Amino acid sequence: MKVLVTVKPVADPNTPPAAWIAAQQGKPTGEVNHVANYFDLIAVEQAIRLKDVGVDDICIVSITGDDKMAQVRSAIAMGANRAILIDPEGKALEWHQIAAALKHVVEQEQPAFVLMGKQATDDDASQVGSILAGMLGWPQATFVSEMEFNADRTRVKVGRETDEGVEVLDVKLPAVITCDLRLNEPRYATLPNLIKSKKAPLERFKFSELGIAADPQVTVEGFALPAGRSGECRMVKDADELVGVLKEMKLV
Amino acid sequence: MKILVVAEMQLGKLKPSNGAAVRFAQDLAAKTGGSFDIVLIGHGLADLAAGLNKYGAGALHVIDAPRFENYLPGSFCAAVVGLVQAEGYTAVIGGEATTSRDIFPRIAGALGAGMCKGVSAIVDAGGGVAYQRAVFSGMALRTERIHTPIHVLTVDPTAVGEPAEGPAGAVKAFAAPGGDDDSVKFVERRRAESGRPDLAVAERVVGAGRGIKSADYLETIGTLADKLGAAIGSTRAVVDAGWLPNEFQVGQTGKAIAPKLYLAIGISGAVQHSAGIRGAKTIVAINKDPEAPIFKIADVGIVADLFDVVPKLIEKI
Ligand SMILES: Cc1cc2nc3c(=O)[nH]c(=O)nc-3n(C[C@H](O)[C@H](O)[C@H](O)COP(=O)(O)OP(=O)(O)OC[C@H]3O[C@@H](n4cnc5c(N)ncnc54)[C@H](O)[C@@H]3O)c2cc1C
Ligand SMILES: Nc1ncnc2c1ncn2[C@@H]1O[C@H](COP(=O)(O)O)[C@@H](O)[C@H]1O
Repeated sequence: MKVLVTVKPVADPNTPPAAWIAAQQGKPTGEVNHVANYFDLIAVEQAIRLKDVGVDDICIVSITGDDKMAQVRSAIAMGANRAILIDPEGKALEWHQIAAALKHVVEQEQPAFVLMGKQATDDDASQVGSILAGMLGWPQATFVSEMEFNADRTRVKVGRETDEGVEVLDVKLPAVITCDLRLNEPRYATLPNLIKSKKAPLERFKFSELGIAADPQVTVEGFALPAGRSGECRMVKDADELVGVLKEMKLV
Repeated sequence: MKILVVAEMQLGKLKPSNGAAVRFAQDLAAKTGGSFDIVLIGHGLADLAAGLNKYGAGALHVIDAPRFENYLPGSFCAAVVGLVQAEGYTAVIGGEATTSRDIFPRIAGALGAGMCKGVSAIVDAGGGVAYQRAVFSGMALRTERIHTPIHVLTVDPTAVGEPAEGPAGAVKAFAAPGGDDDSVKFVERRRAESGRPDLAVAERVVGAGRGIKSADYLETIGTLADKLGAAIGSTRAVVDAGWLPNEFQVGQTGKAIAPKLYLAIGISGAVQHSAGIRGAKTIVAINKDPEAPIFKIADVGIVADLFDVVPKLIEKI
């Protein structure tokens, strides 16, 4: 079984917000380190674990510039077979364009299913998986934390994390599946595997070659820092004083 | 704009996040000189529909059929898209929740429309409107502009107020396109019943972190929550440990909440957790580490052993 796994390099979640904003606005800043989106690493890990049920070709797909190659490499080194890279040619692509580019790869590769992260931790959008599924006319299962295939691998039973508990769906393949935190704990890429990953086959496209509308549907107009909270934290010394303060604030 | 609010249900009831979606639709309609309608999709909806029809919507569309008994992304998406195309809506709005997160991008994709997720405000932008939303674990706000004729939006319920009441609209049944489809089948829902208030909308929430050391202590946390009439929330660490199920997780990848009181007990205050409590009115932190980041966002704090403080709170409140 062939599986496509999407990987987005994102800013390290510990980046100070002002530095992140500056980088988003194209200002040179040395402060922003990138990592592979954590939810995507869960997707890679899942693909590797599915070797038991017949997954033998794991292809990483990333739409990113060469400067983020190290982050993609770290995902390949976890145990993927190969990768497809799409160069955005310096453009900030929005979700619909990313999904359209992924659709192009899916049509070329015809995988048994696509595994993705449930959201990118920079944009916090959680959009690309559902858009892609809709574009392909495929079933979707988002926020998945359990997967169990049927005997002939034509369907997968998934547990989805929802506001109302775990929802179990029985989904026909091919499908788009997005991964939630509890699905697994991603392994680290070992140094030997990192070195080996440099030999993994790599196919490259340019976004402009794919025939996707160049005009974004959504553009970023600006950034702001959220208003801080009230300010100083009022420190109390013991439970008695705490109860007193809560009563004074009419909270209990 | 001609706006459609997609109302959501939760375990057979209207979901509280619908209120924020309606309020945002009212504001957007006022700003753009438009109007809004509401759609409810499910099965056996007659009683619920009445509860939605009090906000001055022009129409309340009801899509009611046995195949909509349980939410499924493919068929619900086709139903909404069919209605949007039949009526010529130019905006589709829902409250941000796990269902809307699942279906709205699919709707946007099918309509060829741009989408903004979890918007908190409308921003004037050169004759048109743009939308502000929290990104990067809520540490930054970003203004996004949609360039397609149709705008698809989910609304952050912790950032938007209650809807204004208004006259009832005409109730219309809509026969949604599509038929039975076995590509996705609902199997079951596993859910822990607590009998406490709904975490998403509770006025008081007791948040339990890894500092509580074991699942056993949740009984004491529960006693405190019940004294306060509070819901219980938690961090990822607690959920990962298996002490509480996932629907209790608050934060970037869990629920965003805006209670009047959030009592953070043994919670360090990682950015991913803080992202979910930014809207809380008062945050009270109990942590034995004076350097814990939670004190940077808390309004009231106590540096102490929670195993000492919590029983005293139970006794004194
Ligand atoms: C992609 C991603 C997404 C994430 N999303 C979320 C999310 O949505 N929500 C979320 O919560 N986390 C999320 N996390 C995890 C987050 O980064 C933190 O690891 C988590 O919030 C920590 O939980 P905690 O505060 O319970 O545990 P810890 O960080 O271990 O903190 C425990 C605290 O308890 C205190 N303590 C210990 N013993 C006592 C005592 N006896 N008395 C008083 N205080 C005590 C300690 O001083 C410490 O501050 C995410 C992480 C990643 C990578
Ligand atoms: N540039 C990209 N390259 C590859 N995958 C991506 C890219 N952007 C988003 N994705 C995938 O889409 C998921 C959801 O992203 P988002 O909708 O932006 O939150 C991510 O977890 C990735 O798996």
